[in-house]
Order: sequence, then structure tokens, then C-alpha cells
Amino acid sequence: MFHLSKIKHTLHLQPHLLSLPLFDAIKGELEMQFLDKVITNLGLCISVYDIFSIDGGFIFPGDGCSTYEVIVRLVMFRPYVGEILRGKIEESNEDGLRLSLGFFNDTYVAVSQLQRPCRRGDDGIWLWNYESEDLPLDLNEEVNFEVIDVKYPPIPVKQDPNSKPFAPMEVVVSTTKQSCP
Amino acid sequence: MKILKADAGMLTDFEVLDMLRSRGAKSDPMGCLGAVTSSECKVYDYLIKGAACNQTRESIEDFKKRCAEFKKVNEKHKFTRAEILNIINLRPSGHAQLYSIIPDLEKRFNISNGDGSEDGCLLVLEEFLNIIHEALPPPPEKIEDEEEEAADEEEADDAQAMVEN
Repeated sequence: MFHLSKIKHTLHLQPHLLSLPLFDAIKGELEMQFLDKVITNLGLCISVYDIFSIDGGFIFPGDGCSTYEVIVRLVMFRPYVGEILRGKIEESNEDGLRLSLGFFNDTYVAVSQLQRPCRRGDDGIWLWNYESEDLPLDLNEEVNFEVIDVKYPPIPVKQDPNSKPFAPMEVVVSTTKQSCP
Repeated sequence: MKILKADAGMLTDFEVLDMLRSRGAKSDPMGCLGAVTSSECKVYDYLIKGAACNQTRESIEDFKKRCAEFKKVNEKHKFTRAEILNIINLRPSGHAQLYSIIPDLEKRFNISNGDGSEDGCLLVLEEFLNIIHEALPPPPEKIEDEEEEAADEEEADDAQAMVEN
């Protein structure tokens, strides 16, 4: 579920950070820029793991701040295909389910990936018919699921006013293997 | 920003939890103001509810060592690194959970219903489950549940004794 990623980044340290030790100032700046944000093909940044090297410190002409080049390792949330995760059911609609991991909410289960046979109840909750018994997939219920794809959709140029908020990273999962509430 | 190495190593849930804990993360979002950000707190909150909550570095090392031994003894039945990572993160407690974590478990262990000759493979699987049980600590909920059950039984016994008296 979690990976380390090594990146090289150029950052500007504003003068108001001069009072802090350099390490703390850079760490704070990195946290502000990366934490809880999605980097395409790397995943969601959870935390700054460590700082390898800090280089530079030049003030370029006409610039009011010093520029550093740092090499850091970040802890990224990037599930691999086939991984089993645990999450809660957040939303249930005609397309399937939306699951939440607490810190990441764009996990989707398509109807075709639900346990078969299944049907949708009157209240919009999906029911799994297991040995002629209906097992409801209630909201806020904990389920285990298997990751089948991780997508990074491009930023839309035009967006419908009614569409759901843009998600930079989507995890597509399946519950056909296991759905133990 | 330039990506030097997209995959510089995988982390188990425990390692991430341990790192956040060492930075002063707590379940209470107000309690760790200043130490970690709220997004890190959410991750901590998620991990503390999983199997990683009572694992230690030693228990995971021990499990990995025993997995390597298991691999040596049973060359036919190998587990990949990703599968072992999954097992550490989820700590399956029985056959049913192990089936769902390991793809094609039946095929790999030649388990089919009603065939007497497959007992050997089932034993191997049983041995592997034993390793999981012994090396990785059980989830705390279970202990509580068992205690509750024991308490319930005691109460039931008491009630019965009362009736008998």
C-alpha cells in the first residue's frame, strides 16, 4: 500500500523562513507543497520520509528568496494491482459503491465487480444474495477489497456544473474475491 | 520536480505507523497539532485500526525469517514478496481469509474436495497458518471479544448456579 519515492525538487525559501534552521524550513516547505497531494504516477503523498541532500542556496538576481535543490524520499500511498485493502462503504448508487480508507476517498467498485448474484434494494443499498439469503452492503460497513487498477485521470478542460468533484487519483477495486463485512 | 526513483522500496503498514508514531501522531486530531498534519493523522487513524497496531519490528523480522525457512523446506509452495507483505498487513486468522489473500491457493496447494491424497498439502498450509499465528500478534479486538465471551460464560454459569441454588 505504501511506497517510498525518491524525488529531486527545486524550492524557493521565502525570507520569513530565515529565522528557522535550514532543515526545518525545507521540511516545512516540502510538507506544504506535497503532503496530501497526488503526484501523477506516484500516488498520494503521505509524509516526507527523509531528506537526502540539500544543495544550492543561491539568490538569483531580482529574486527575493534563496533557491535550494533537495533530494528527498516521500512516503506515497500507491496500492499495487492485486493488493487487498480494507475500507468502509461510503456511498452506494446505481454505478456501484464508493469506498473510503479514511485518508483516501476515491475508491470505486463497479457493479460488475460486486459479489454475484446481487441486486439493489429499494433504499439504494446493494444486496448480495448468498445461499438464498440477502446480505446487505450497508453504508459504513467495513469490507476487504482487491485493487484491480489505479488511474490518474487528466485534469478536465471543461467541467459540467453537476459533475462530481475532480479526483486526481482513482483506485478501481473488486469485491468478488472477498466481501466479509 | 524530477522523479529520480518512483519505487525506492515498499513499506509495510507497521513501518508507516511506526514513523507517524515516532513523530507524535495520535488518534485525536487536536492532540497532535503542530507535530503532524491532519492528513497524517487520518493515515494514523486508519492504520491503528488494522493489524499493524500491535506489531513490532521484531515480530515482523521473525515472521520474515520463518517465511524464508518455510520457503527452503517447501520449494514447491512459494509465496511472493507481495503476498508476504499482504499477509503482514492483514494478518489472516484462518483458511478463509488466506484463500482470499493468496491468488489460486487451491491450485498451488493442490487442494480439492474429497481427495485423500491431498492431505500432505493441507498440512503444509496448516503449518504456514501456524507460522502466521505464532509470529504475528493477534488483533486486539479478538482478545477483548474472547474476554467478553469468557465473562458472558461466567455470568451464565453464575446465573445457572443461582437457579440451581
